[in-house]
Amino acid sequence: MSITNKITVKRAEIAVAVILALCSIALMIKSAENRITWNAEENMGAGFLPFYLSLGMLICTILTIIKFVLKRSPQSKDDTPFIDAVAFKFIAVTIISLVVLVLAIGYLGIYFSLIFFLAFYLRYFSEKSVAFITIFAITTPILTFLFFEWMLKIPLPQGISEPLFYPVYDFMYGGFSFAVKMIFIILTVVLPTALVFLTTRFIK
Amino acid sequence: METIGFLLDGIFTSLQWFNLALLIFGCLIGLFVGAMPGLGSVNGVAILIPITFIIPPTAAIIFLAAVYYGAMYGGAISSVMLGIPGASTAVATVFDGRPLAVKGEAMTALTAAAVGSFVGGTVSVILFTLFAPPLAEVALRFNAPETFALMVMAFATFVGLGGDDVPKTIFSILIGLALSTIGLDLITGKPRLIFFNIPGFLHGINFLVLAIGIYGIGEMLWTLEETKGKVQMSKLSVNMKEVGRAFGALKKTIMAMNIGSFLGFFVGILPAAGATPASLMSYGITKQLSKNSKEFGSGVPAGVVAPECANNSASTGSMLPMLTLGIPGSPTTAILLGGMILWGLTPGPLLFTQEPEFVWGLIGSLYIANFFTLVLNIALIPAFLMVLRIPFAILAPVIFVLCVTGGYAPTQSLHDVWLMLLFGFAGYILRKLDYPVAPAVLSIVLGPLAEKALRQSLILSDGSMGIFFDMSEKPIAAVIMYIAIVLLIMPAFGPLYRRLFKKKQPA
Repeated sequence: MSITNKITVKRAEIAVAVILALCSIALMIKSAENRITWNAEENMGAGFLPFYLSLGMLICTILTIIKFVLKRSPQSKDDTPFIDAVAFKFIAVTIISLVVLVLAIGYLGIYFSLIFFLAFYLRYFSEKSVAFITIFAITTPILTFLFFEWMLKIPLPQGISEPLFYPVYDFMYGGFSFAVKMIFIILTVVLPTALVFLTTRFIK
Repeated sequence: METIGFLLDGIFTSLQWFNLALLIFGCLIGLFVGAMPGLGSVNGVAILIPITFIIPPTAAIIFLAAVYYGAMYGGAISSVMLGIPGASTAVATVFDGRPLAVKGEAMTALTAAAVGSFVGGTVSVILFTLFAPPLAEVALRFNAPETFALMVMAFATFVGLGGDDVPKTIFSILIGLALSTIGLDLITGKPRLIFFNIPGFLHGINFLVLAIGIYGIGEMLWTLEETKGKVQMSKLSVNMKEVGRAFGALKKTIMAMNIGSFLGFFVGILPAAGATPASLMSYGITKQLSKNSKEFGSGVPAGVVAPECANNSASTGSMLPMLTLGIPGSPTTAILLGGMILWGLTPGPLLFTQEPEFVWGLIGSLYIANFFTLVLNIALIPAFLMVLRIPFAILAPVIFVLCVTGGYAPTQSLHDVWLMLLFGFAGYILRKLDYPVAPAVLSIVLGPLAEKALRQSLILSDGSMGIFFDMSEKPIAAVIMYIAIVLLIMPAFGPLYRRLFKKKQPA
């Protein structure tokens, strides 16, 4: 891959420093929307601290750029690739799949998005069989659901899949006895977990 | 005498069945995250903090402290067996642990690490019990100026002792502080830095979003790049004879234990330092002082004991300023401190009088956790070896799931999950270019507290910065400020010092 060879540590260092400098300037401008002055009569303006903090950031990035130009930092002399081609594939696919995951959470809801995310990720990176991946991709969201919604009572986003969960909520908060709920938990949690453990040991 | 009574109360608190169950569970999780390459105490604590919101603060801190502790023990497992540190705190354990494993004495190395950790943990928790109450008493007299000066010193320690590129370190501190100013201004009530008028910024940036981003997502990306999903493991034979021989070998490591325990504790107290530099320093000093320093690096038990002892000791030490002064001593305690604020507590010396159950429950639990982790560690070595065989390609998505749910849960907004991804990716890139990330996490936690202390001080002094430097009015604040200034300008004199003294003693 030629792209990864072209992005050397040296180029990445100066590019990042320039981007950070621009971000600092943007922060300063944004802070200046509030009063940035401070004197004994009036109290400190709301923009004072963010403004001078981002000014400090700008000075630091300028120092980094000066060090780069004078070749004082180790990065300024480093012509090795910033990232090698194999690792680049790992990182790029991971980041893209995470972005797609969060996009999907907003629409599909977290539980169904997780199934697709896990199935894709494991299929792409691991050498596990389809059987293993299927079990793993389905049990993980179930465990997540029980842990957050049942134990912690924290609702996670469900997007358009929300109506599908109404029967489950009816069951969780309905008048079922403790024993029925426990049997349900054993069927949905303990068995799948045991399955996953067994499959990790025996299914390749 | 009073201390002993409190301590006994604390030990009983941590022995209540709910707390004890969480403690053992925490130790196990800690051992697990410590043992996994790429995950350390700071990652475990950052990812797990959101799930502690539903339990009482005392149980939550006992759980997280056990995770912190367990990770210090667990880090040694992958350092020895895989030759890659399980956490940055166990880097120095690789130097002698790996050669021992290659020689077929992995069990000796693992036993030495566990016992070293136990000794370091026990000595430091005793020191902790002795030092904490008097320090809290002194700290009770601190007002806003002293608190602000202490925070400046914490930031200055990163610059003076962090050893990283100075402009990049300062940048990291400032960006953390700047991020902490986002949201409504405490005093004027005006919204600050609401980018693109997105309402999600109005409630500010929760430190957890940055911590999980950097230590969850960013760390996973980093580890994916380093290992590319594959690792090589040493062989291990476990039998009682080996364990017995390992204990025999420990007689020669008493000096290493002493150095590791005491040095680790005091390095841990320093704000910027924490367990990683403590373990490296302990290894270096033990090697220098040892009679057979040439054998270090080829596999001697003392070389495993020294860093392991120190990292446990430092992890306890770093909790001392967190509890007594409200200043964290390490990245992990910075996250714990943020957690304390989220649980509704005010970190600082008042905790000792207002929340004695919380403080002493934590201290008591450290004694208990030490014992349990030692037992669990040695008993479960075969189980951890199984865990280490889990391919990284399976572990990574599970961690991502925990990060996404953990980033969402505290505020229940996807806005925070997006920010977390952004911080994770940015943190990964910046870390690759040697920008230290720990100062940013520390400063986003301390930012709001520092701002409050600064503005209160300025109201006290009618707007004059002189209040921080006035030896007659506020001597403690002034002394701390001058120390901070010395720390800040120290790196500038480093090259000068080297130039002056290198000529006199040619190497």
